[in-house]
Amino acid sequence: MPNFEFGGKSYDVDEEGYLQNPEDWNKEMAEEIAKTEGVEMTEKHWEVVNFLKDYYKEYQIAPMIKILIKEMAKMFGPEKGNNKYLYELYPSGPAKQACKIAGLPKPTGCV
Amino acid sequence: MATLEELKARKTDIGPPPVEKFLHSIIKENYGKWRYHEILKSGVLAHTAESGAVIYTVRAASPRLISTDFIRYICDLAEKYCDGYLRFTSRNNVEFLLANKDNIEPLIGELENNGIPVGGTGRSISNIVHTQGWVHCHSAATDASGLVKVVMDELIDHFKNEDLPAKLRIAVACCLNMCGAVHCSDIAILGLHRTVPKIDNERLPKICEIPSTVASCPNAAIRPTFIDGKKSVKIDEDRCMYCGNCYTVCPAMPIADPLNDGVSIWVGGKVANTRQGPSFTKLAIPFLPNNPPRWPEVTSAIKNIVEVYARNGKKYERMAEWIDRIGWTKFFSLTGIQFTKYHIDDFKHAGLSYRRTTQMRS
Amino acid sequence: MSETPLLDELEKGQWPSFVSEIKKSAKKNKKAEGLLGQLELSYKEKKTHWKHGGIVGVRGYGGGVIGRFSDVGEEFPGAAHFHTIRVNQTAGFFYTAEALRKICDIWDRHGSGLTNLHGSTGDLVLLGADTDSLEDIFCELSKEGWDLGGSGGGVRTPSCCVGPARCEFSCYDTLALNQDITMTYQDELHRPSFAYKWKFKFSGCPNDCVAAIARSDFAVIGTWRDDIQIDQDAAAEYVQNGLDIQTDLLAKCPTRCIEWDGSLRINNPDCTKCMHCINVMPKALRPGKDKGACILMGAKAPIVQGALLASVIVPFIRLQPPYDEIKGIIKKIWEFWDENGVARERIGECIQRVGLGNFLEAIGVEISPQVVTQPRDNPYIFYEEYYEEEGGEG
Repeated sequence: MPNFEFGGKSYDVDEEGYLQNPEDWNKEMAEEIAKTEGVEMTEKHWEVVNFLKDYYKEYQIAPMIKILIKEMAKMFGPEKGNNKYLYELYPSGPAKQACKIAGLPKPTGCV
Repeated sequence: MATLEELKARKTDIGPPPVEKFLHSIIKENYGKWRYHEILKSGVLAHTAESGAVIYTVRAASPRLISTDFIRYICDLAEKYCDGYLRFTSRNNVEFLLANKDNIEPLIGELENNGIPVGGTGRSISNIVHTQGWVHCHSAATDASGLVKVVMDELIDHFKNEDLPAKLRIAVACCLNMCGAVHCSDIAILGLHRTVPKIDNERLPKICEIPSTVASCPNAAIRPTFIDGKKSVKIDEDRCMYCGNCYTVCPAMPIADPLNDGVSIWVGGKVANTRQGPSFTKLAIPFLPNNPPRWPEVTSAIKNIVEVYARNGKKYERMAEWIDRIGWTKFFSLTGIQFTKYHIDDFKHAGLSYRRTTQMRS
Repeated sequence: MSETPLLDELEKGQWPSFVSEIKKSAKKNKKAEGLLGQLELSYKEKKTHWKHGGIVGVRGYGGGVIGRFSDVGEEFPGAAHFHTIRVNQTAGFFYTAEALRKICDIWDRHGSGLTNLHGSTGDLVLLGADTDSLEDIFCELSKEGWDLGGSGGGVRTPSCCVGPARCEFSCYDTLALNQDITMTYQDELHRPSFAYKWKFKFSGCPNDCVAAIARSDFAVIGTWRDDIQIDQDAAAEYVQNGLDIQTDLLAKCPTRCIEWDGSLRINNPDCTKCMHCINVMPKALRPGKDKGACILMGAKAPIVQGALLASVIVPFIRLQPPYDEIKGIIKKIWEFWDENGVARERIGECIQRVGLGNFLEAIGVEISPQVVTQPRDNPYIFYEEYYEEEGGEG
């Protein structure tokens, strides 16, 4: 199994870099994972990741993108509640990048 | 690797190129003004426009999974015989579009010398639409490309010749996800799993969403549970229909079982709205073993169904229409296929297929 | 190359062999060689060696590339990463040799050299890319004018039949509408944000050569409303040439609305536009002149609640650029789906859950008898209007 090296320790990840043990996650590590995606975490990025983590904590699932968009609009205003904004923060898509940085399970489903 | 400049310069959302530049001048000039078509011979079409102009089409087979060598070869032929213009059909055939009638026979000659059969028009078997199988899919219960190859090796004469009552459309899907129009084909070959997914309780809580996994089951057979103090799921095995949807949602529930995975055969589906309209396929053979590399049980079963249909169907009668006329009892007796308990539906709308009249053939 | 005794059996026989295709690529390409070895193992063990699909991709896109990783990558390093790139095909699958060769050049430089022409949804599929080459491949495809297709919970790559480019039956311009819809919904195609996948398919006539009625969430199937056009001389010619008109044509008409007494007579109000007679004598019969399309929705394969054929939503619509009416309907439907859809539920299942009547009312489409084959036969009606006692408030 591939590893992710961080802070002198080695963590299990899958081929795409998703953490295999959710309890390994911490904020500093998230910033390092983000760098592997070419993403520099700012406050705006954390708004999305924190929402995902809160949602996951409450429902044990990642939200559908349409729900992420709606909730972002409710919490932070319409200029942050749209797909374009999310792709500016996470250029390869919020499902792929933000979930990975948040340490959530890799999204599945029919491709 | 692409440089940052290249990344910035690249355009997104340009969409597919407009089709106009890929159309032969005869097609452009007569776009929307075609008058009629004729099948000159099996695999060769002639479309005549109101202007009197004609475009000829030669339809050839392809195995769908093709190398760039194959593509370059058909491109060479297209340049040699049809000004570089070609297209594909929704059933993976290659169509060469010719302005010059005299080029038809030399083109066919070259194709056939290189092992590429010409046909698939009119009352024949066209190419098989199929899915990825073991070649490229995680949920495959069988291999699609292999099945297509062995079945078409048997049926190739019906591709090359229009010798059937009506067109016959075959499709292969390697699991119930059915990435091909298997559920509406004259004959469908459907890979299936037959055993309950095995739960990896160690990985499941880490990589799967438990509520999504529970919700994925069409029969409510999956419940959340705790195993050794850790969250996981359990399956009510009596309710599992082996659809594999839970595995699609949760990778920690693999369903593949080499000993029990296999193939089922379905008949009588159709897409076109002609005559009695579109219909789903119905179960003919509940299970045949996976017996690669040449699946002899499957090829002989398909050949049998095709030959019985070829002998008994009337002109323009698709498989579904032939069976409707003679009745399912006769279908099973003519083909010698055994009718079993598995043929009787027991899912949601099961009752709709029970016979609710005393009218029946003896 | 490793020995492949089982796959070699699939090079026998007359039908073109996919194994020979893999071998052609494997001779010069390590990735294809890896696939060949892994596939032989699958044939031996009767099981797949691909792991669950992943989400790899290119910058700015949420779909179009599907990650595929081998579970025997150490044994077959070429197959370790073997991602799928979906390239949006041309409308009607028309190409030139020149354009296809350029795609081959790009793919030979960066990938396995193996392709599907085409995938089930319609894309030109490149099979077997490494994660590290994805951006390069995308940049080069983009320079040549190509873009990616769809994947995941969004608009999937639309596809259409050959249409007016080479078919006299086509009742609207399938290629033009396909291109217009593809370009209009690029964002929905490339950045999926729907509850589940959404497939558009466009067929020019009821023969439905792209299987829209079986395979698309939104099917547009050409049809007409006026009289079938008849060329009596051509009809007589078919009969003279041996057509058994009674058995092969008249008796097969589903509403028996066509007769022959030396010339053809059609009782057009009874015609259901099934295409049979037109297919049998294309030189003599053609669709009418008042052409358009029928919109049907909700087809899907069995997973989860059972397979569905698409059903009629709009019995007849005229289709001319800029296609504002049909786009207005799509907008309403997506608004409805956004409010009502649940994860991994196709629109067909969603419509069944809320009821077709409620759905049609919500999207503002006229409710006509043409959307059903018969009225309901059960009395469990959800009434929404009641008489109020007179003299009450308001």
